[in-house]
Amino acid sequence: MSDVLTSSPALEARGLVRRFGRTVAVSDLSLSIAPGELYGLVGPDGAGKTTALRLLVGLLTPDGGEARVAGAVSHAAGGALRASLGYMPQQYSLYGDLSIDENLRFFGDLFGLSSTNFRERVAHLLGITQLTRFRDRRADALSGGMYKKLALACALLHRPRALVLDEPTNGVDPVSRRELWELLYTLVDEGLAVLLATPYMDEAARCHRVGLLQGGRLIAEDAPAALVRAFEDLAYFVTAADRDAAEAALHDLPGVRALSPHGPGLRVIVAAADAEAFRRRFASADMRWHLEPTAPDFEDVFLMRSIDAE
Amino acid sequence: MSAPVLARFSGAVRRTRAIALKEFRHMARDPQVVLLALAMPLVLILVFGYGVSFDVERVPLVVVDRDRTAESRALARAFTAAGTFDLVAVSDDEAAVEPLFRGGHAKVALVIPPDFQRAQGRGDTATAQLLVDGTDNATATIALGYAETIGLTLTQRDLPRGFDVPLRAEVRTLFNPALRSAVFIVPGLIVLVLVIVSVMLTALTVAREYERGSMEQLFATPVGRVELILGKLMPYFVLGLMQVLLVLVVGVYLFEVPLRGSVALIFVSASVFLLAELAFGLVISIVTRSQMVAAQVAAISTFLPALILSDFLFPIDNMPPPLRVVSSLLPPRYLVHALRAIMLRGNGVESVLPDLAAMGAFFIVMMVIATRKFRRTVA
Ligand SMILES: Nc1ncnc2c1ncn2[C@@H]1O[C@H](COP(=O)(O)OP(=O)(O)O)[C@@H](O)[C@H]1O
Ligand SMILES: [Mg+2]
Repeated sequence: MSDVLTSSPALEARGLVRRFGRTVAVSDLSLSIAPGELYGLVGPDGAGKTTALRLLVGLLTPDGGEARVAGAVSHAAGGALRASLGYMPQQYSLYGDLSIDENLRFFGDLFGLSSTNFRERVAHLLGITQLTRFRDRRADALSGGMYKKLALACALLHRPRALVLDEPTNGVDPVSRRELWELLYTLVDEGLAVLLATPYMDEAARCHRVGLLQGGRLIAEDAPAALVRAFEDLAYFVTAADRDAAEAALHDLPGVRALSPHGPGLRVIVAAADAEAFRRRFASADMRWHLEPTAPDFEDVFLMRSIDAE
Repeated sequence: MSAPVLARFSGAVRRTRAIALKEFRHMARDPQVVLLALAMPLVLILVFGYGVSFDVERVPLVVVDRDRTAESRALARAFTAAGTFDLVAVSDDEAAVEPLFRGGHAKVALVIPPDFQRAQGRGDTATAQLLVDGTDNATATIALGYAETIGLTLTQRDLPRGFDVPLRAEVRTLFNPALRSAVFIVPGLIVLVLVIVSVMLTALTVAREYERGSMEQLFATPVGRVELILGKLMPYFVLGLMQVLLVLVVGVYLFEVPLRGSVALIFVSASVFLLAELAFGLVISIVTRSQMVAAQVAAISTFLPALILSDFLFPIDNMPPPLRVVSSLLPPRYLVHALRAIMLRGNGVESVLPDLAAMGAFFIVMMVIATRKFRRTVA
């Protein structure tokens, strides 16, 4: 029994399809997340992240394919499946007019925690989320970061084996964001499988493995570092105060595949084969900006994969 | 019961209780709602109790006596004796009625047919016709109520002895006209108050969970649909019973409404009605998923029937057949009927069983629809 459980992935999607009218929100999505793994589903708004997560936790019925949690089919499974799963939706979904304690008590009851177990879990979770001092505060009086921590605590009360988080750092200040991430690493180290959706590339880069989602399709999947290593183009940084002028001038140079504003200038992605020609033209065209090569990062990977996929 | 079954059951009870407790907390955090729920019955009973009772004295009456016998004259006298009706004209021709109505000189006409005495002599039902000016609804309704009582009182005389007469009470209040309307409206008011507040609030609760996004979190927990539904019903059920208590207390102490039957039976009937209507509110909420729409649908589909199709203001017997059918499909008329039987006539459980059964059936149908329509999915 335990062999079967440990050998089956904590979360699994096989050929998932979900349509809304004519929109195909998720198309032929397959992925598998092991216990102790932190998996990031990355994509812009409307890519289908929320839909994919809802299919996995059984809140949507797939039009095709199958989602499983610890081996059990998501949309068919009842209480047993939900007891092994923690889910944190994208939008606010706790009760704003109830206090932290009351929200926790409510979910503790729904998950059937014994009172000793409940007290232990609450003490532990409020401790690691640093919410103990605010126990009596109403949820709608919490900051964005505190709210998300409370939501996380509610999702973790019953010691789930898999945790599914939809944009957990949305609306969270940078400090709380870092704290949330540290929390996630601790949980994953304890053997929890975590699937999170995020539109932020810097966050995706911190996952063990990422899936790039675009238009409902998984266009790439690997460890962030591996994806960066496999990146075939070259990245340059152009320092330019007048970004628009620089962009217009650079646009038609040979080999330029993408230009994106970045800090005090532009990031330029150039096809490796044309790099020589690009540098020569840049020099001869008497450009007044400063050009320097830079290491490709995860954001470049996502950008180029998206362009390639279109 | 085996241990796992028992464990599952106690889990279900705990989850149901958690939902109910949470709902109570929402109420406590928003006390205006509770205050409104308790103020509403008071306001309504004062408005209806005092407002309506002034209107119904000295209703101008025209008697068309085509029988001209001792019996027909006795009937006419019975109508004028109470002080409710003012005899403004006597005629032997029905054609005289319409001009009097049009001119506003009479609002009610008692038409006694030529064979009235003979029918009574034969032991058949002796029928007299009552014409009411329908443009003045309040007066018409109350007048009809009075007329019914008067008519029944007359027949009572000829009933065989030993028959338990549940109408004696009404004869008594007949001679106390100021109280009559309060007596008459309390059952209807209870129905009205219950649907206005409790059903409306219930209709909002599930929709609110969808709108707030909390439904998504709820569905990700082991809570079952029936647990969720029952847990959500409970607080509004309690609130509803408090409203019933309030209306009864005010009715009895302020308006001296008689409480002839069992108070327990009143609450049993009100409970069955509440369950039926609250389940209806939930169906509305589950189907619409929007508080705005739910509120409108609830107003139209529960408030209007309670006001119009309950026999409260407008007698069901006078309705066109389609409306009568609609009214028989909805709970309000059954509670009005049951409460009148219990409160005013002192009837026991056997006389309200059909009403309880009808409301119970409505509850079951609504629960089935609610659980069927309630999907554990977000889209
Ligand atoms: N409940 C729904 N009804 C209709 N369309 C939906 C629904 N949920 C999502 N969609 C559509 O599916 C696509 C993917 O949406 P979503 O999964 O929310 O993406 P993301 O979470 O990545 O922003 C979008 O085009 C969105 O409009
Ligand atoms: Mg989303």
